[in-house]
Order: sequence, then C-alpha cells, then structure tokens
Amino acid sequence: MTSRDRAAFLAIGLVAAPAALGGVYSVAAALGFAGAGAGDVGLSRFIAVLASAAVWRSVAWTLAIAAVATVLAAAAAVAVAVRLQASRAGRWLAVFPLAVPHVAAALAALILLGQSGLLSRMAFATGMTASPAEFPPLVYDRVGAGLVLAMAWKEFPFLALTALAVLDTRGHLFEETARTLGATAAQAFRLVTWPLLWRGLAPASVAVFAFLIGHYEMAALLGPSDPTALPVLTLERSLDPDLARRGEAHVLGLIALAICVGVVGLHQRARRAAPEAS
Amino acid sequence: MAVLRRAAFRSLVALTLAAPGGCAAPDGRNNTSTQVEIESLAGRSWDSVVARARGTTVLWRMWRGDASINAFVDGWVAPRLGERFGITLEAVEGQGPEIVNALVTEREAGRGRGTASLVWINGETFSQLRQERLLAGPWSGRLPNGACVDSASAFVARDFGQDPAGYESPWGTVQFALIFDTARTPRPPRTVAELAGWIHAHPGRFTHDQGFTGTTFLKGVMYALAGGVDKLQGGFDEGRYASARDTLFAWLRDLSPDFWRGGVTYPTEVAAMHRLFANGEIDFTMSYNHNEVVTKVRQGVLPPTSRALLLRDGTIANTHYVGIPFNAPNPAGAMVVADFLLSAEAQYEKQRPSVWGDGSVCARAALPAEWRARFATLDGDHLALAPDSLRRYARPEVAPEYHARLVNDWRRIIRGRER
Repeated sequence: MTSRDRAAFLAIGLVAAPAALGGVYSVAAALGFAGAGAGDVGLSRFIAVLASAAVWRSVAWTLAIAAVATVLAAAAAVAVAVRLQASRAGRWLAVFPLAVPHVAAALAALILLGQSGLLSRMAFATGMTASPAEFPPLVYDRVGAGLVLAMAWKEFPFLALTALAVLDTRGHLFEETARTLGATAAQAFRLVTWPLLWRGLAPASVAVFAFLIGHYEMAALLGPSDPTALPVLTLERSLDPDLARRGEAHVLGLIALAICVGVVGLHQRARRAAPEAS
Repeated sequence: MAVLRRAAFRSLVALTLAAPGGCAAPDGRNNTSTQVEIESLAGRSWDSVVARARGTTVLWRMWRGDASINAFVDGWVAPRLGERFGITLEAVEGQGPEIVNALVTEREAGRGRGTASLVWINGETFSQLRQERLLAGPWSGRLPNGACVDSASAFVARDFGQDPAGYESPWGTVQFALIFDTARTPRPPRTVAELAGWIHAHPGRFTHDQGFTGTTFLKGVMYALAGGVDKLQGGFDEGRYASARDTLFAWLRDLSPDFWRGGVTYPTEVAAMHRLFANGEIDFTMSYNHNEVVTKVRQGVLPPTSRALLLRDGTIANTHYVGIPFNAPNPAGAMVVADFLLSAEAQYEKQRPSVWGDGSVCARAALPAEWRARFATLDGDHLALAPDSLRRYARPEVAPEYHARLVNDWRRIIRGRER
C-alpha cells in the first residue's frame, strides 16, 4: 500500500465514520440495545415493521414519488441544457430555484396548488369550476401530484447545472463534428450528446433520488397522511407516544439506507456494463 | 487491512453500546450529582437556593412552536430573571417526545451533567421520564410561590391521573375548544351528537389533525361516547379501552366519509388546520388552549369573527409542568425559575389574552386582594369563554396509556384502513 493509498483510505474513513457510527447505533437501537425504549432485545422491532402493510405502502409510495420526480427533473435538465446552452438568460432562469429553500418551495406549492390556492381561485374566477372545492386536489393527495411537481422543480436546477457543465466541457465539438459529417440534430443528440450526457448526469440523478427518499419537509407539508412518506413515518415512530415503539424508527431508517445503497450499487453496475463512451 | 477494519468495527460497536448503566439506586431514585445536589439543597433555606442560583444560566428545553409563548418567555420572563435573580434564561426547542430521546441519548453518551436544567413536560412525557428515571426530585414542594397552587383542583393535582410527587411543578392550565366562525356558522353544534349531525349535513367541511390536538379531540369524543370520563378513570384498563375505542371508531367510520377530503387524508398538525380554516376550506379548527382563538384573532391569523366553542359533553383540560432532568447542570437555578413562573405577576401576565392566554394554576382565593382584582379583569374579554362554562365543561385527562394506544390504533385502523 503506497502512502497515497493510505491517505485516500484515511480520507474515506473520515467521511464514512459518522455515517458508519450512525448505522451501527441504528442497528443497536433497532435490536433493542440502545435508545429510548431500549429493552426486549431481539428482532421484534424488525418483525413489527416488516409485517406492517402501512410500512410497505409507505416504501412503495416513497420510491415511486422519488423516482417520478427525479425522472421529471432530469428530463427537464437535459432539455434545458441542450436547448438553452448558449442562452445566458436561460441559464440564469434554470439555476434560480437552487436558491429557494425546500420549505419555502413547499409552502409556495401549497399557496399555488391547494384547493384554496391561486390556481383554484383562478379556475373559479374564470368559471372553469363551480366552486373552489371542485378544483382537483393536488396537495395532500394520494397521487402525490403537488409533491412530485414541487420536488422536480426544486431538484431540476441542480441537474441542469450538472448537464450544462458536462456539455460545456465536452459537448459541442463532438456534436458539431457530427453535424458537419451530415448527422441530423436528432441523430447528433442520440449518438453523440446523450451518451456523453448520461454518464455525467447519472451520478447527480442518483444523488437526487437518494436525497428525495429521505427528504422530510416537502413530504410532510404536501404529502397525504396515507400512504405516509417514509421520512414522515420515521419521525412519527421516533416520537411515538409508546416508548417501546421508538426503536422502530431505526428499522425504518435502515430500510431507507438499504434502498439508497441499493440504488448506488445498481448505478455502479449499469456504468460498468455500459460501453465506454468516446 | 482486514484485521484493522475488524478492530475498527469492534471499537465502533463498543463505543456506541457503551451506555453507562448504574444511574439508578435500588430504591428507584437516581444517584447522579444533580440528585445529590437537590437533596443537599432540601436541607437549606430558600434564600440560600436563590443565592446559589445567582450568576448562573438555566437552559430550558420547551416547545417553541408558538410566537406568543416565545415572546412571553424571551421578552418578559428572561429579563426579569436577569434583573432580580442574576439568572440568564436560555429557552431552546424540544417537545415532550424529543426531551425523552435527548435525555436517553445524554445518559448513553456518558456520565456527568447534561445540557438542560429545566424541561416543559406533562402527561405521557412525565410518565416516561419517571419510568426511565430521567427526572431529579422531589423538589417542587419547597417552592415558596407554590403556596398559591390550586391543590383542590383535580386538573392541577393530577397529571393525566398521575401524582406529580414533587418531580414536576405546575405553571399553566389549558382546556380544549373547537374554533368556528360566527359569520359562516351562526348556529354551531353544541354536543357530540349535534356535531355528528352537522358533519353529515355539511360534507367536506370538518376534519381533525394527526397531532396532539387532534388526538385530544378524539379522546374527548371517546369519553362522551363511552358515557363520561368516569368510565375511563382509575388507571389503564385494556377491556374498557378496547370497548371505548371500538365505539369511537364506529362513530368515525360513519362520519369520516363526510370529513374534509372524504376522510382519506388528514392535516399533519394543528397549524395546517388553522390554515385550512382561515382559507375557508373547512368550517372548524381546534385548539388545546381555550384562549388561542383570542390571541390568533388579534394577530390576524384567524378571521375576526372566530370564536371558541365547548361541547357540552365536556372538553379535556390539563396542566403543564416543568421538571428538572436527572443530569441538570443547574438545579438551583431551575428551581428559582420554576418558582418565578408561579409568582402572581408571571401567572397574570401569561393569562392576558394579548400575551398568551394560558390559564393560571393559582387558586384565586390564595392570592393577595390586589392580584385577585387584576385577575378578575381578565374574565370579561368578549372573545373569550366565560370562566364558569370553562369550569362546568372541563374533564380531566385519563392515564397516558389511553393516549398512546389511541394514537397508534387510529394510525393503523382509521388512517391505514386496517381491520
């Protein structure tokens, strides 16, 4: 092992230590060794969580919401990066939501999309609906429409920045060459730009997805009470009036961790399997 | 490398699991240095407690979710404690369940003193802190201002049916009330039965939140449907709970299709209810403080025609307390703060509707004449409920297990639609 390797291991260790420590503590608390309501050591908390239909609804719903929001944000990012790469104003507009805090974005979504919100009032004023209550429920709804839109809007600028950076460093030379050689715009995108883009964009998209799996504020303000988003359910359990159930929050945390590790692993495999670009 | 990794993992496990046990003596009391200090203070005069507290800091972990309460604590209590007792008061965020988690973590982290000297608690939190031996005491019996406490009142002397036993000191009382808008609902329902009729007649205009306030509403209905709170008093009883819960859930199954959003979704917190009410999406909100409507109308959060309403079947009242954690760094300072909170002037200031509207725990008769007169001026607020009807319809909390069980059963059976 060279000294450079050792330094790298040390750095990785420093970064990973807090997460590892938290992970070990969560395992201990989930087994009943530590935390509020410790005792009754064993797998009872895992069994209670994994046997609950509400937990599985929560996991499936949270996965779906995070996946759809990530796909929407990534698609918008690609479109903006390809179309507006040369436009200064376009770049500014794309980056703007980055400065808005998540809570503020969620409250804005409530004011805009709620049944007593701006869109509902406009629909009522223009006679599109007979009463504000007729406006389709876009927040606290089971489909999670408002939540997905708010999440996608909030994560889009991060992905757009990444996509723009990829194109800025590698993009146009190859694309211009392809066009000079007679490729159509669509062909140039499919054969040249996209293969370059996805490699740069995929890690950022994985980060966004993992973030949304664990993101609390927007889910709490815009999500329905059933299914309950995984982070909301986790906090609910960690503050459960029954002390003996608080350890279940750590089981839920470990589920979220497993999902994120799984997605990172899938991404690594996909990268290795895909042919090297350029 | 592998050996190194394994060793590192082992020390990590050891580090996380090194929860120091042995905090409690066999008789159930703590033997922490905080406990020792409280016991030694018990043998000394109150003046020497005050002298010991001078020049110290008291960190108070409390619910910080209400601007009026924060303004009272930071802008009125803190400066007076500084001027008169040389105490620096620092109020920090931490609701009941978080206080329990924080103290458990502090105990696991190691010996020595913790961070908070005073905690705002009641009910289930008090029960859990006592069960886990996370409170120091007894100490509240020696506060000079404690003489005013209305010990004849069932609402002050028992905390969710529990004896405070000197481990917490009362500082305020509140009573649950529905809030409605006289402009929208000129003739509101006055009983649980009338409320059910009203909900059926006005689909989509009623709901309750999933937090503490909403659970308290459900508990009040559960008492009424069970034939009165007397049926549920005297400690937790599985059979009586199960039958009361089943009656309540049958009532909810009948009504919830006519709740807001068809009872498919519920507001997370009572703040979300206030928003829906102010925006005209629902016709009732609720509060576990009968005077919140007064402060919120004055702040412009609720419409000016909003009023509080007590259902005649009875509404739940309770008392909030302060406790001293087992590892409090400054128990003497905490006792002085708890005593100041019981002073007539602090109790009066807190009860003013323009300040907070929190009920006093002092018996009027136990107060000096001038303070009796000042308290009497608070009774006539046209937005507020009359003290007579508050007293008449007040019902006590029952054992904390009812609350914990109802929260989880509601989440599973009603919210999660399990049978």
